[in-house]
Amino acid sequence: MKTRYLLPVVLLACGVAQAQDVFPSRTITMIVPFPPGGVADVTGRPTAAALEKVLKQPVAVTNRPGAGGAVGNAAVANAKPDGYTVLMALSSITVIPEADKLFNRKPAYTLEQFAPVALVSADPVILVVHPSLPVKTVKEVIALARKQPGELSYSSSGVYGALHMPMEMFLHAAKLKMRHVPTTGGGPAITQLLGGHVTMTAGGPAAITSHVKAGKLRPIVTWGAERHPNYKEVPTFKEQGMDIVYYIWAGMFVPVATPEPAVKVLRDAMRQAVADPDFKSQMAKVNSPVSYLDAPDFAKYVDADAKRLAAVVKVVGKVGN
Amino acid sequence: MLETFNSLMMGFAVAFDPKVFMYAVGGCIIGTLVGMMPGLGPLAGISLLLPATFGLNPIIAIVLLAGVYYGAMYGGSTTSILMRIPGEAASVMTCVDGYAMTQNGRAGPALAIAAIGSFFAGTVGVIGLMLMAPTLASFALRFGPPEYTALLLMGLFVLAYMSGGSMLKTLAMAFFGLLLGMIGIDVMSGYTRFSFGMVELGDGVGIVPVAVGLFGISEILMTAGQAEPPKVQRPKLRELIPSREEFRLSLGPIVRGSLLGFAIGIIPGSAHVISSFVSYGVERRLSKHPERFGKGAIEGVAGPESANNSAATGAFVPMLALGIPTGPVTAVMIAAIMVHGILPGPMLIQQQPDLFWGFVASMYVGNLVLLILNLPMVGLFVNLLRIPYAYLYPCVLAFCILGCYSVSNSVTDVWIMLAMGAIGYGLRKFGFDLAPVALGLVLGPMLELSLRQSLALSGGTYGIFLERPIALTMFVLALVLLAFALKPVIFKGKDWRAGVGLDDPPPG
Repeated sequence: MKTRYLLPVVLLACGVAQAQDVFPSRTITMIVPFPPGGVADVTGRPTAAALEKVLKQPVAVTNRPGAGGAVGNAAVANAKPDGYTVLMALSSITVIPEADKLFNRKPAYTLEQFAPVALVSADPVILVVHPSLPVKTVKEVIALARKQPGELSYSSSGVYGALHMPMEMFLHAAKLKMRHVPTTGGGPAITQLLGGHVTMTAGGPAAITSHVKAGKLRPIVTWGAERHPNYKEVPTFKEQGMDIVYYIWAGMFVPVATPEPAVKVLRDAMRQAVADPDFKSQMAKVNSPVSYLDAPDFAKYVDADAKRLAAVVKVVGKVGN
Repeated sequence: MLETFNSLMMGFAVAFDPKVFMYAVGGCIIGTLVGMMPGLGPLAGISLLLPATFGLNPIIAIVLLAGVYYGAMYGGSTTSILMRIPGEAASVMTCVDGYAMTQNGRAGPALAIAAIGSFFAGTVGVIGLMLMAPTLASFALRFGPPEYTALLLMGLFVLAYMSGGSMLKTLAMAFFGLLLGMIGIDVMSGYTRFSFGMVELGDGVGIVPVAVGLFGISEILMTAGQAEPPKVQRPKLRELIPSREEFRLSLGPIVRGSLLGFAIGIIPGSAHVISSFVSYGVERRLSKHPERFGKGAIEGVAGPESANNSAATGAFVPMLALGIPTGPVTAVMIAAIMVHGILPGPMLIQQQPDLFWGFVASMYVGNLVLLILNLPMVGLFVNLLRIPYAYLYPCVLAFCILGCYSVSNSVTDVWIMLAMGAIGYGLRKFGFDLAPVALGLVLGPMLELSLRQSLALSGGTYGIFLERPIALTMFVLALVLLAFALKPVIFKGKDWRAGVGLDDPPPG
C-alpha cells in the first residue's frame, strides 16, 4: 500500500532536485534602490521584462528606496548570494561609500560586496541654463561666473548626488564658486531651473529634452566623451579644453559570493536581453539608449568611475564647512 | 471658449471609446480597492501596474493609471471613517471626525458626504485643469524655495485651529512630530541625524507607518483595552443617507476645500498632503461651533476629503502643461507615457491633443463612475461594522502590516508602525491629540529644506523672503493667521476653548 504513495513523492523529490540544478528555477527579484518613476526604475522595469523573455522565469522588480540608494544597495550587498537577488544600481553606488568615509560613518556597504553583471545604459549629463541668462558657450558661463563670484547658483539632485558630482567637477576644473541648492531628485532640480530660481543645473538627456525643444532651457556643454547623438550642436567639455567626463549609468550587480554558473547565466541573459528589439525601442524612447558592457569590461568601467568620483568627493569635502 | 468645447467633445469621443472607457472604469475600481487597503497608497498601486501599461497605447495607459490614482483618493476615506485607519497620508484628518461620526452611528452619511465631496472636488479640479492648465502651470513654476517656505509656515500656523484639546498639548504634539521629521540624512549637508547607524532611517520615518500606527493601531489597542467589548453596530438603511442639515453644513466646506485643494495641488512639490490639514483648520476657524470638531462634525469630513481630491487633480496641471512631476505618483505617470515615445513637456497639449483631451474627458467620466460606484457601496461598507471586533480587528491589523510593508518593502517601516501604535495608545490615554504629530512630521522636513534652500539661494540673507512678491504676500497672511491664533492667548478668555471648558484636561 505504502509504495503507491511513495512513488509520486520520490518523483516529486527528483523534480525538485533537478529544478535546483538549473538556474533559474523560480522568480528572480530585481531590487531597484530608488522610488518608482526614477532613472533606475525606468531602466529596471523594461530590463526585467526583457530578462523574463530570455530566462523564462518571472523577474519581479522591487523598489527599496531610501538614503539616496544606500538602503537598496545594502539590501543586495547582504542578500543571499544565489543569483535570485539582483540589483539595478545607478552610478551613485560608488559615491555612497566615499561619503560614508567622509563622515566617519559605518559604511552601509562597500563596493567589494558586489560582482558586476552588465552595464545597461550610460547617459552623459548636459549643462543647461535658464534661457534668460545671456550665455551660449561654456566660456561665457565661466566669464560670467568670474564677473559675479559666488552669485550664480545651480540646483542638484542632492548633496553628493548624481547631479552634484558633475557640477563640482566643472567648478573645480574652472576654479569657480557658485551657490549650490540641493533638492530631492533630478526632477525637482530641473523644476528649480525652469522657474528661474537658480541659474543652471546638470541634467540627463531624458529629463531635459522636452524643455530644450520648447526653448525653456538652453544646453551649453556635455560631460560626455563625445557629442550626444540627439544634441549634435552641443560640444563636449573635452572639446572646450577641460578634461572632465561624467555619465549617469545604470547597471546590474549581484552579491559578490554568487556562484559563477549563476552569474554566467545572468550575463548571457543580459546579452540577449539588451539585443531585444522591444527593449531597445523602449530605452530609446525614454532617451536613454542602451550602451551594453559585459561583466569584465563593466568591472573596469566601474573601477575607473569609482576612482574619478572618489577624488571629487574628497575635493568637495564636507559641505557647509 | 468654443475651441475648448470642441476639443473637449473630441476628448469625450476618445474617452467613450469602449476600450478606453473599460480601462478607465477598471482603473477606478482597482484604485478604490488600493486606497481602501490601509497604508497601501496610490503610488504602490500605479507602480505595480506600470509594466502592464507598456503594451497598451499611451492614452489607455495614462487613463488607467490616472483612474487608479484618483480612485485611491476616493477609497482612502473608507477605512479612515469606519476604522480610524488612514488609507493614505492625505486621509489623516478624515480619521478624526469621520471616525467620531461612525461612533455616533453616522458612518453612512460620513461615507456618502466623502464620496459626494470627492466627486465635486474632482470635477472642479478637471475644469480647472481643462481651462487654465498652461496659465496656472507657469504661475506654479514661480513657486521657488522662498514661496514654498511661506506656504509651509502658513500650514504650520493652521495647527492652532486643528486640535480640540488644550493649546499646550497641541503644541507639544506638533513639536513631537517636527522632531520625528528631523530623523534621517540632512539633504543640505549629507550628515545623518538620529539614525543610530540604521541605514533604513536614512530617509527618515515615513508618514504612512506613523499615521497608520498612531491612528489605526492605537485604536485597535484602545478597543482591546476596554472592560466591555464595544457594541457591534447595526446600521439601518435610513441612517445611511445624510440628513438635510448635514448636506447644508457640508456644502461650504466642499466648495472651499475643492478650491483650496486645487490651489495647493498645482504647486510642484509634495505639499498636496497639507491641503487636507489646511482645509480642516480653515473649516474649524470658520465654524460657528468649533467645539463640535473632533466629536463628529461633518464639515471635518467634507472639507479635507474634497481638498485632497482636488489636490490630486491639481497635481496633473504641472505634469501635463510642463512635463514636470509634482511628486512620485506623477513621476511614474510621466515614465508611463515616455515609454511610448511621448515627451511630456510644454508642447504636449499642442502635439498630443487626443492624449490631453482624452485624458481630461476620461477624468470627468471616471469621477462620475466613482460616485456611482461608491454611493451604493456605502451600505456594503457600513455593514463591515457588523463583524464582531474579535474577528474584524485581527484582519485589520494584518492588512495594516501588509500595507505598511508594501510602501517601500521595508520591515523597518512595520516596526515603526507598531512602535507608533504603542506610543499613540499611551498618548491617547493621557488625552493628547494625534493629528498635530502627523502634520508636524509632514511639514518639518519640507519646511526645513525649503528654508535652507532659500538661504542657499540668497547666500544667507533673509531679505530673499521680502524681495519676492508671492512670498511676501503669503508671509503677511501667515502673520495675520498667527495674530488670530495668539489673540486668545493674549486676551485671555476670548477663545472658544475656554467657553466650552476645553482647556481643562478632557475626562477619562
